[in-house]
Amino acid sequence: MRKIAAIIYRDYRQRITNIGFIFWDLLVPVAYLTLFGTGFAKSVVNDNYMSFFLPGVIAMTAFSVAMNTSWGFFMDKDSGIFYELLTYPITRRQLLLGKICFNVALSAAGSVLAIAIGVLFMGVQIRWGFLPLTLAAIAVTTAGWFFLMSIFAITLNRMDSFNTFTSVAYILLMFMSTMFYPIADLPSWFRWAAYVNPMTWQVDILRFCLLGSGDIFWIILESAAFAAFTIVCMAFAVRALNRAA
Amino acid sequence: MPAILVEELQKVYRSGSANPVKALDNISFEIPKGQIFGLLGPNGAGKSTVVKILTTITTPSGGRAQVQGFDVAKEPLQVRRQIGVVLQQTAVETLLTVRDNLLIYASLHGMEKAEAVKRMRLVAEEFELAERLNDTVYELSIGTKRRIQVAKVFMLDSPVIFLDEATTGMDPIMKRKVMERLKNEARKGRTILLTTQILSEAEELCDNIMIIDQGRKLAIGTLQELKSDVQGANLEEIFLKLVEDKE
Repeated sequence: MRKIAAIIYRDYRQRITNIGFIFWDLLVPVAYLTLFGTGFAKSVVNDNYMSFFLPGVIAMTAFSVAMNTSWGFFMDKDSGIFYELLTYPITRRQLLLGKICFNVALSAAGSVLAIAIGVLFMGVQIRWGFLPLTLAAIAVTTAGWFFLMSIFAITLNRMDSFNTFTSVAYILLMFMSTMFYPIADLPSWFRWAAYVNPMTWQVDILRFCLLGSGDIFWIILESAAFAAFTIVCMAFAVRALNRAA
Repeated sequence: MPAILVEELQKVYRSGSANPVKALDNISFEIPKGQIFGLLGPNGAGKSTVVKILTTITTPSGGRAQVQGFDVAKEPLQVRRQIGVVLQQTAVETLLTVRDNLLIYASLHGMEKAEAVKRMRLVAEEFELAERLNDTVYELSIGTKRRIQVAKVFMLDSPVIFLDEATTGMDPIMKRKVMERLKNEARKGRTILLTTQILSEAEELCDNIMIIDQGRKLAIGTLQELKSDVQGANLEEIFLKLVEDKE
């Protein structure tokens, strides 16, 4: 446990020394909620949009935190510490687990901030009884995104390649999902792309937990799919770490 | 039981591709406990690959290697509990302070905080880092970063130490200090494998020396044995003779 705690502490120290990370981790999703959400709600749709959009913002927080934490692998490669870490008496799994714990804590903090702003200032009404389930969903989905991003952060050697990958992933995953808008009336190719997009699964799960919307059978199916996605990504991330050298 | 045992070690990079690279070709050697062993060779000879395999960063393609009786491929975690490593590339947490670098290193090796703080003070004093403990590493010179990297290894009591060109970038005074410390550690029973391009350093420190090139062993023995076998007056002459003859 001490070693996992040391990994968490290490990530925490790295993160708080860089204001840019905090901006991306916590403030960008909140800025989306307050600026984009308000603008879209008042000018294009209606006030219910804030409720619709809040789960999407939480999903965005999880994704951003996971992206930044996995980017840490590049920082480690740059500083040369990455290979030294592989000689420490910790397993690759423990290394990832420590990073996940920190990742989840940060993601949960960002989500609580978004929920607080949504409830206090935007009039969003959430199902408080489902908050523990919401946090559990945030934990699993943050882990899933972190494992996915880590595969690429460990495997790719060039930072510009990784940045290109994350930018493309950011756009495709978020905009081809139910994060910003309902997909029922969109072209069928778009709908099918959204159905197989894990971001849609995550947003739908969070929307169900927070607002109670969505068909329970469909939500169970999406939860199982996201769990499977997380496990597969974890296996590939551990494999990538094992083959890192 | 030797501290390090290497038998017919092979490493092939990109083995599945059309252009596989044979980095190690049946290298064998052993290092008894308490010895300083020098692994020498020109750039690209395979020295760092040997270190990477023995420190469990990568796995061998063939042969076997043991550290303190533990197989590097089958028991990597047990091997890692026995070793302290300074890799060729400067490896420090640039965004953290010197203090955090030393303490996090110790805690990742399972050391209690009180003990880690005690040792941190000692190594900081020894490596002239005491005044720098609260500085962020990012702002420090390459030589100071290298000092932190080497100091970390001495936070631990690991029985085997790997130093891959560890003194590169250090000033002569600090280099001398590190060399004296290594001699002391070997006398206390710690086993040290070092690679270096500074042949005088190897000449002064090493009980045994192995010279490799293109993944193959060219010679192995004490400095005296090498001098008589290869007919060289000093290690530089021996090294040049072996490597240039091969070419």
